[in-house]
Amino acid sequence: MNVQSPALVARPERLRLVGQRRQILAVMHQRLMFGMLVYVGVVGLIAARILYLAAFGDHAGRKLGVTTLIPERGDIVDRDGHALARTIDAWTIALHPKKLIGNKLELARTLARLMPERDEATYYAMMKSDRPFFYLRRRAAPDVVQAVNGLGEPGLAIDREPDRLYPQTTLAAHVLGYTDVDGRGTAGIERAFEAQLSNPATRGQAITLSISSRVQQALEHELLDAMKEFSAIGAAGVIMDIHTGEVIAMTSLPQLNPNSAGAGSMEARFNRATSGVYELGSTFKPFTVAMAMDSGVVKSMGQMYNCPGELHVAGRTINDTHPFNRACSVAEIMMESSNIGTAQIAQQLGATRQKQFLKQMGFLDKVEVELRERARALNPGKNWNLVETMTVGYGHGIAVTPLHLASGYATLFNGGIYRPATLLKVDATHKVAAGHRVFTEDTSYKMRSLLRLVVTKGTGKKADAPGYRVGGKTGTAEKYHNRSLKVTSFAGIFPMEEPRYVIIAMLDEPKATAETYGFSTAGWNIAPLISRTVSRIAPMLGVRPDKKRDANMAEVLPYIHEKK
Amino acid sequence: MSVQGFKSVFMVASVAGAALGCYLVSLNVASERAKLEQVESKIVLAQRDIRVLQTEIGTRGRLAQLERWNVSFIRLSAPSADQFLEGGFQLATMIKPDVKPVIDAPVVLASAPVEQNVAQRPDTSDGDEAKPVGIVRTPAPSASDMMRVASYARPTTATKTAPVTTAKPNASATKAPVAKLPVAKLQLAKPVSAKGIKVASADALAPLPAARTTAKASATDGASATATASRKTRESGSQR
Repeated sequence: MNVQSPALVARPERLRLVGQRRQILAVMHQRLMFGMLVYVGVVGLIAARILYLAAFGDHAGRKLGVTTLIPERGDIVDRDGHALARTIDAWTIALHPKKLIGNKLELARTLARLMPERDEATYYAMMKSDRPFFYLRRRAAPDVVQAVNGLGEPGLAIDREPDRLYPQTTLAAHVLGYTDVDGRGTAGIERAFEAQLSNPATRGQAITLSISSRVQQALEHELLDAMKEFSAIGAAGVIMDIHTGEVIAMTSLPQLNPNSAGAGSMEARFNRATSGVYELGSTFKPFTVAMAMDSGVVKSMGQMYNCPGELHVAGRTINDTHPFNRACSVAEIMMESSNIGTAQIAQQLGATRQKQFLKQMGFLDKVEVELRERARALNPGKNWNLVETMTVGYGHGIAVTPLHLASGYATLFNGGIYRPATLLKVDATHKVAAGHRVFTEDTSYKMRSLLRLVVTKGTGKKADAPGYRVGGKTGTAEKYHNRSLKVTSFAGIFPMEEPRYVIIAMLDEPKATAETYGFSTAGWNIAPLISRTVSRIAPMLGVRPDKKRDANMAEVLPYIHEKK
Repeated sequence: MSVQGFKSVFMVASVAGAALGCYLVSLNVASERAKLEQVESKIVLAQRDIRVLQTEIGTRGRLAQLERWNVSFIRLSAPSADQFLEGGFQLATMIKPDVKPVIDAPVVLASAPVEQNVAQRPDTSDGDEAKPVGIVRTPAPSASDMMRVASYARPTTATKTAPVTTAKPNASATKAPVAKLPVAKLQLAKPVSAKGIKVASADALAPLPAARTTAKASATDGASATATASRKTRESGSQR
């Protein structure tokens, strides 16, 4: 076919030519085949991909990521499931100066009217500036958003951003903490559980706190009332379940609104319940007596001590607010909150045993709780000599946080077992901490009637909530830098015949009022607060009022010298 | 033969048909899944809306706000220990019979002649204790003889009778039926004499004059009427 000439015998040069052409043809065929294979391969690949997509691929209308409701940041709820912190989509209004098309001066005027936090000139300067982006308002209200949208200005961007909201505003603010502008926890639970709250795998599950909002509200309200009434600069309160160590309520005043934590003062952001250390005074005395009973120093509530008007020890004078000037029993020492008597008990106990007990109760370390804002207790340290032992015995010279005190009282009354405080609800997923024994059960039992006595006959009479069998101890300590300023506190336990809850309240620098007859001691300002709070919260906590029940007062009453 | 020739065509057609059928099934499944996903995403959106609304309601009705309302308007306070009850029995003890002061019952009848048949019937005036009260019905002639019309009784009697009648049902049951019929006509056939409770000791509770106590006591016994009783009858005989 390639033979062009009809000649039967080809010339040799012509034959060579034919051979060459064959070769060229073969190459061409090869190339064509290769091209076809490539073509077929590409088509096959596309077909295979289409088939694969038809068989296993997603369809066009599929929406990703909306099949489950996982918030941007985990919720925090209280023990009854009420939301304490949530992430919502908030409206933000932003300004892109480059994209503005309208009259800038007029727009600045309108914006100043709609969002009065900046004035006209500032808005105008922002529009003229070289920066590409400004936040005009984050978390804008819907009516403002609508009005801004109505302006129809392309340079004003309206967008939704996840935003942390605390629906209960100031409630339990210091427990919850707050987040910074980028949604990272900077205080409280938000900070302590940052990883869990922000991790997509775990943030779908809300963190359940041990806090009960109703109890928390009652405590906050009563404390705030008292703080205003006595013009105190601050206050703190803790309510704790003594058997599990769950913190039912914990507050620190002045109040803080975590929705705008930056607007609060340093004082308001400070958590007095866990990072404030105070000399809590006489509320320490029950510990000294319990230590002495456990060590065998005090064998009976009727053990007598000499209680003169003043006690001079190593150049120091110890005074009493209610001097006995006679011999008095342990029950009386506690009832009238005698420093002199307690100092002598502490002296007999000795520094070594005292330190050992305090260490076991966690009083020499940072308070044990999930929060990061924890303070280390202050104590005499290496100068723990005779005088220090005696003053620590009645709560001076040692400074602890209110939460320390709550844990200590829980230890004293739950049968003598120390458990770290927890802010997470104790349930199937979060078991009660193991704890370790500090006091014997017998000591724990005997302390009940002793502290009930303080409320029925002693310095804490005003703390009694009828029917709820409150027991407790008042404490008034002077501030180190100014002896006229006081820190008053009360550590209460209820119901006393079968203790379940401890309530600690503290006022920082309360002033005397006409109603208190010029007194600013704990019996006058904190004790009534305890009574009001307990009668409010005890029914919520399942404590029945019963005027016919009480602790076994036969333990202590025989040792009281009744005034004629 | 022709069938043999078309065999390959049939094969291709059936394979193509099967493939198409499979594809249709897969398409169907995919569209159903899409619908399901749409519903799911709707549910999620609804849940998100619920969450937003819950958050809003929770924020508006936050405890601090409720507390503020309570302090300024509602003023509820914590219940005291006495407001808690042990149970149904304690609740029942707190119920007292209604006090119905009968002020328009000025007339008191008391007549207790001697030897009369005592009709027993339960007194219905006091609900809670259904003690049979002996009502002494005097025979017509003797009573009518003694009856005098007294249109206006002593106010002292009236005032004493009224509260006692209601407040202390057992003690003053005698007076109750009488008091309830202030405008009853004079019934000569059956004038009511003093009625009394069978238990005489009950009278001691009532702050009544000694005279009436005597009358009741006598009537209860069904014994002879005393002079006092007769006098009473005369005073208030017109009623009933």
